[in-house]
Amino acid sequence: MESVDDSKFEMEFISTSGVYKTSFSLIIIIQLFVGGLVLFFVNLWFINSLYYLLTGTQFYSFGLKAEWYYWLLLPLNIYGNIFLFVFTVIVFSAGIFRLLNKLSHPREGVFQRGCKDWKFMHRRFWTAFFPIWLARALPLPWLDIIAYRFFGTRVGRSVVLYEGYIDPEFVEIGDFTMTSLNICIFSHLIYQDKVIIKRVKVGKACVVGPHTIISPGTVMEDFAVLGVNSYTKINQKLEGNLIHVGTPVSITLPIQSIEESQQKAVKVKAESNIPKDGENSPNLKEGD
Amino acid sequence: MFQPASLKGESPVPIDEKIRRKYLILYILIIILSFIPCSLFEYWYVTYFWSETIFWIFFLLLPFNGLVAIYIIQFSAILASVLILKVVNLIHLPKEGVFKRSLQDRDYFFWNIRNIIKKWPIYVMASNPFPWFKTRFTLRFFGVKIGKKTICDNSWISSEFVSIGKNVIIGMNSSVLSFGIEQDNFILKKVIVENDVIIGAKCVLLPGTLIKRNVSLSAHSYTNHNAVLEENSLYMGHPAKLKKKD
Repeated sequence: MESVDDSKFEMEFISTSGVYKTSFSLIIIIQLFVGGLVLFFVNLWFINSLYYLLTGTQFYSFGLKAEWYYWLLLPLNIYGNIFLFVFTVIVFSAGIFRLLNKLSHPREGVFQRGCKDWKFMHRRFWTAFFPIWLARALPLPWLDIIAYRFFGTRVGRSVVLYEGYIDPEFVEIGDFTMTSLNICIFSHLIYQDKVIIKRVKVGKACVVGPHTIISPGTVMEDFAVLGVNSYTKINQKLEGNLIHVGTPVSITLPIQSIEESQQKAVKVKAESNIPKDGENSPNLKEGD
Repeated sequence: MFQPASLKGESPVPIDEKIRRKYLILYILIIILSFIPCSLFEYWYVTYFWSETIFWIFFLLLPFNGLVAIYIIQFSAILASVLILKVVNLIHLPKEGVFKRSLQDRDYFFWNIRNIIKKWPIYVMASNPFPWFKTRFTLRFFGVKIGKKTICDNSWISSEFVSIGKNVIIGMNSSVLSFGIEQDNFILKKVIVENDVIIGAKCVLLPGTLIKRNVSLSAHSYTNHNAVLEENSLYMGHPAKLKKKD
């Protein structure tokens, strides 16, 4: 199916990005198996020497006869196993992801649901699903960033990704950016019987506020701030050095430095004749 | 599709604190009951595969063992809670309406009891990363009808008085609530979503909402109590208002 010219394409509403369960989602079982296989060989080496176990001349049942240092290193072993599993799953599924990309090059545009690009979008999503879930379930702040980088998302350095949904492809996040809790960054959007795929660019040192939705085609310039509870329209451009608020974004506010806002607060207080903190204190003493 | 571990699609249930303390035993009982078949399976697995000749099969099947163990826990948790739920429903049948929000009110009391029974199976369902027996499968046991080809895994759906049709897309982070709290009142009303509906991300459907066929609800909007969204139209706003009709 040919992609429609999306420059004229306008959506009246923002829906959501979603993925159906297909038979390809069984790939999670293969990922589990590959992760487990690597774990198996490394643990063989750890519990006993690989040579002895493979030749069968010496067999330790459950490590009960193992030396004292085995029990000492057991917590490290468990912790290392978890990381080994996660990293093998990430690397393995990143390989499958690249293979799928070669089979059908990911394109931007507006596609009919059920066409080739739609099917390959599903396959790419399901390959990336399990490793990213694992990376996000572990209590390490940088693991999900590494996982996203493996799946072709450009994530800069010193980036903070709090809990939220970020699509694994067609997303660029610049250096020093922070995305808050419960955000949705969509590069795919379902619209009636079509799906729109467009690149999302989040610039350097941006702040994406909590509970926001960034829809496909959004370009956030450097130092832009997206306010709480707002969402952007398709192909919207957010200017840098400004705060953007609204559903959809329509209001812009200037970013103030701390000194500026403090000066303003002093001015407002003087105008409305509110007594200062220092003047309030003698009244309190009288009350006591 | 990429829900972090903390944003899993567990049903929203603000259970009363007194109930949570008093009926903790019921909750623990269901957990123990659901672990018994799993531990029997693990016992069989270890005794069968852990021998000198085929010990490598033990390790090779270990990932599948984890997968099967999670599903055994989930199935037995659903079974245990459904059986207890049937007994509780014999004592007091769940019904819609507006009730007082105090434990003297029988409907509010039994709503809390029902939810503490459902809590564990829904927690297991929401926490596992495997997409196969998720929301649609589990909530069907508690009387929620969800049609085929429906995307609903990334949203919070109440575990009773909800019916969702075929081919529906419910966006990420949306919540479908069949209960509501207004000051001293507690409202229970059925939410009905008919076929071919698209609900955007971060929407909230309040109790009593009826969404008819082929409606699109824009992202970041909510519906009022007892709102009716007409067929083949687009709704958006806070609360959702008619924007366009085909």
